[in-house]
Amino acid sequence: MKLLDIIEEVKIGKRINREEGLSLLQKVELLDFGELANEIRYRKNPKQQVTFVVDTNPNYTNICNIDCIFCAFYRHPGEAGEYTYSVDEMIRNFKTAAANGVTTVLLQGGVNPALPFDYYLELVKRTIEEVPEVHPHFFSTSEIIGMSQASEFTIQEVLRKLWDAGLRTIPGGGAEILSDRVKKKISHLKGTSDDWLNVMLEAHKIGYKTTATMMYGHLETDEDIIEHLEVIRQLQDEYHGFTAFIPWSFKPGNTPLHKIIPTYASSTRYLQILALSRIYLDNFDHIQASWFSEGKKIGQVALHFGADDFGGTLYEENVHAEADFVNKTTVAEVIQLIQDSGFTPVQRDTLYNTLKIFEKAEAM
Amino acid sequence: MTFSFRDKQLIPIWRKLQHGERLSLEDGLVLFKTNDIIALGKMANFVQQQKSGYAVYFVLNQKIEHTNVCVLSCKFCDFAKKKGEPDAYEMTTENILAHITPEIREVHITGGMPPDWKWERYLDIVRKIHEKFPEADVKAYTAVEIDFFHKKFKLSIEEVLKQLQSAGLRTMPGGGAEIFTERVRKLLFPQKIGAKGYLEVHKTAHKLGIPTNCTMLYGHIETLEERLIHMIKLREAQDETGGFLSFIPLAFQPGDTGISVGDGSASGGKSHRQFTSAIDDLKTIAVSRLMLDNISHIKAYWVMLTEEVASVALNFGADDIDGTVGQERIAHDAGAVSPMKLAKDQIIKIIKDAGKIPVERDAFYNPLNVYSENVIGKIPYLNSVPFYHNREKSAAGGFKILPVAPRRMGMLSKQGQLDAGLFSLMDYFEQEESLELLPWCIATRDQVKSVMLFSKEGWAGLNGKKIGITDETATSVQLLSVLLENKYRVQVIPERLHPGVNDYSMFDAVLLIGDEALKHNKIGLNGFELVFDLAKEWYDWQKLPFVFAVWACRKALSGERREELKEMISTSLEKSEVNLGIIGYSHGKKIGLTKNETKEYLEGFNYRLGEQERKAMMQFRKLLEQKEIKI
Repeated sequence: MKLLDIIEEVKIGKRINREEGLSLLQKVELLDFGELANEIRYRKNPKQQVTFVVDTNPNYTNICNIDCIFCAFYRHPGEAGEYTYSVDEMIRNFKTAAANGVTTVLLQGGVNPALPFDYYLELVKRTIEEVPEVHPHFFSTSEIIGMSQASEFTIQEVLRKLWDAGLRTIPGGGAEILSDRVKKKISHLKGTSDDWLNVMLEAHKIGYKTTATMMYGHLETDEDIIEHLEVIRQLQDEYHGFTAFIPWSFKPGNTPLHKIIPTYASSTRYLQILALSRIYLDNFDHIQASWFSEGKKIGQVALHFGADDFGGTLYEENVHAEADFVNKTTVAEVIQLIQDSGFTPVQRDTLYNTLKIFEKAEAM
Repeated sequence: MTFSFRDKQLIPIWRKLQHGERLSLEDGLVLFKTNDIIALGKMANFVQQQKSGYAVYFVLNQKIEHTNVCVLSCKFCDFAKKKGEPDAYEMTTENILAHITPEIREVHITGGMPPDWKWERYLDIVRKIHEKFPEADVKAYTAVEIDFFHKKFKLSIEEVLKQLQSAGLRTMPGGGAEIFTERVRKLLFPQKIGAKGYLEVHKTAHKLGIPTNCTMLYGHIETLEERLIHMIKLREAQDETGGFLSFIPLAFQPGDTGISVGDGSASGGKSHRQFTSAIDDLKTIAVSRLMLDNISHIKAYWVMLTEEVASVALNFGADDIDGTVGQERIAHDAGAVSPMKLAKDQIIKIIKDAGKIPVERDAFYNPLNVYSENVIGKIPYLNSVPFYHNREKSAAGGFKILPVAPRRMGMLSKQGQLDAGLFSLMDYFEQEESLELLPWCIATRDQVKSVMLFSKEGWAGLNGKKIGITDETATSVQLLSVLLENKYRVQVIPERLHPGVNDYSMFDAVLLIGDEALKHNKIGLNGFELVFDLAKEWYDWQKLPFVFAVWACRKALSGERREELKEMISTSLEKSEVNLGIIGYSHGKKIGLTKNETKEYLEGFNYRLGEQERKAMMQFRKLLEQKEIKI
């Protein structure tokens, strides 16, 4: 099909297939991409508003047995710098965050095989009881698989028990690129694409809401990116359990993969992929801009390329920091960044409910 | 190309742009205030592509700040120190030379204004660099410094510039413009020269044959209106002299500067010091591209914008990303690779990522190297428009169009960096071995109106006189030389014209080509009473058309690509020929032609290489071979 015909299809709201997606990714010029993504963004969310969440990303352990070569964060058991915090310590951490206005705690580990399953259940229960100001958004698919392996419970049982403990949403990290060819090279112990998809499928069946992510800019091909979007779109068709999609680019600092991929993917590439995902994922309500991984300035630009969410304020963050990629902000700054981009900032919770609208100050 | 507007207020402005009409201050305000930055960017990208195709320029340059000692105290500056302060420094000429390496093509020199330097010291810097590194063009001293020299050393501005020029100065940087309103000047830099002084220095430079850049410092206390007033003042000055090479919007860098951004400013009433937003950066680039219709290049200065935003800006109207700047800052243990090579590779990557063609340039924007495949050269004159009208087709074939003056196109082709192009006839002759002739050309029937000799004397009276000749092509120059020697039997002293400069008063005649010739053919050229159309001279003499340019592609180009190329050219030409007045309209309008004049001009050419044209090529070649004196 000709490019112009694909563009027309997108404009009238038709779903595009793999081939058409690939054609867009490889041939459409940057601003045409932006225009097309905006058509869909404003159809889904006609308000000149951009949401954000006040959140924190602590880590209860950095011990991990998965050895992903794109990661600078993990340590092996016994290695210098390893740590695992007790539930008490984590609760204290959450309380401090809550006192600073945080409403969402995105908590992830390492995958530490020494931790008993009860640790995780207790963490969820006590967070809900003792820090009711925050919403627990805990545990990536890898950790859930790890819990299943360490406890002899099935994935389904693990998810059911966490649900019963009060967990309602799960972060979408760990998807990287849903291509087994790439996964074998960058995270051979992390399981297959189906493993990630399966945890998400089981979670959505129970009623969990999750996000979906994609980390590109390493060994993937354009076809891999399209395949990634295709499989999460298929899953979304079944249960509509994904709240948002969040693409970001690989950060090579301090990682073994640095030797193969020494530089960041470009900002143009980021904006193209963001726009493509807005176009391709026609059954996703929200696309998140990643100011954190792409920089504040490109985060602002991303709001004009299909994203309607600015992500979290990240009170605490350790994983990228270990890759020497440090980016900090404040709630006030996020509000200003969104306003300067031409939108009304709206503070939301984990489930995209509106908490507060920051009407634009008199300016310009 | 699709085009939809979320902000309907942009539609009348888009109409104006399509017709090549100039935008007003009110238009500029609508552009600055829109939330539809995609449409704004697309409009700016459209205009950028008309001017530079897919080209984005960079230069291997070195920035030298010879001293930070300064007698001024400008509020926004945290660079300047007073003499004797701990961080104050002053470089000797030897220090400066040690910073320059042989691959550098442009040395950019600006600095503070110390109380005790002698005039000779400033001249010496320029002279020594020029002597030791003749390949590097010296771009030195802002208007503020020139004005300082003028007052301190009691020389006229013209004299200051003349002395620098004879020491080896080629171009001037654009710094010190800040914002051209008295309100802002009084508040932030009362000791600086202001709009009048700045423009006077630049216009004087232009008249001497020193092209310059111009700048705007935004994102502090200025209003959007003040930004637009600034741009319009530059646009008016450019109408007068044509000497500005590029415009560089500079984002204010907060820091230890003593300025906090106040209410009522374009940056939106921030109470604390902040960097400009990416949206403001991109808007400012795009708006300047649209407002400054007579300045060829808009620069996204990556060192200030960040690599990421600069790369995006290349789709928002910028066609220049400055250069290596001597910032070999990429920390990388790459063994034998030089820092310069790394910086250069990084810049090439930024440009390629944006989907553009990286073009290494000299200080005058002459392309030196092209770093991309599938590039086709385009003569940037009105008469080539019929060949490149069908942009959809060229994109489909994956060809990227690079507008480049004929002589430079020949050089790039010689370097193997072009797949095809509409070549000046002389370049085709020279590269016949590696180029294959395609059946299209730009040939005149009888007169051409765009290869013109403007003269103070008749042909006979030109003997022994100084003639300024275009730097842009060899063919017209050789045609002139054949006419002078074989038809009129006179000898002249030829001298190349500086690009971007249009004061011709020192010559007895000037040979102009392309749009510049066409423009002056209509309005005349002050001081030059007689006008000769070289194609007509040729026709009257030889009774043959004259072939100025021919289409040719690399012999090595694959059969498939060749067919794509041929299809692109022929479809474009067929579509254009029935509509010459319309397809040339906006280009013609820029040089002051009506639709009918454009139509008539374009109809005066033959675009297909027929028998008469081939015969004319052979005849011209024969005359060239017989000629004794070569220009």
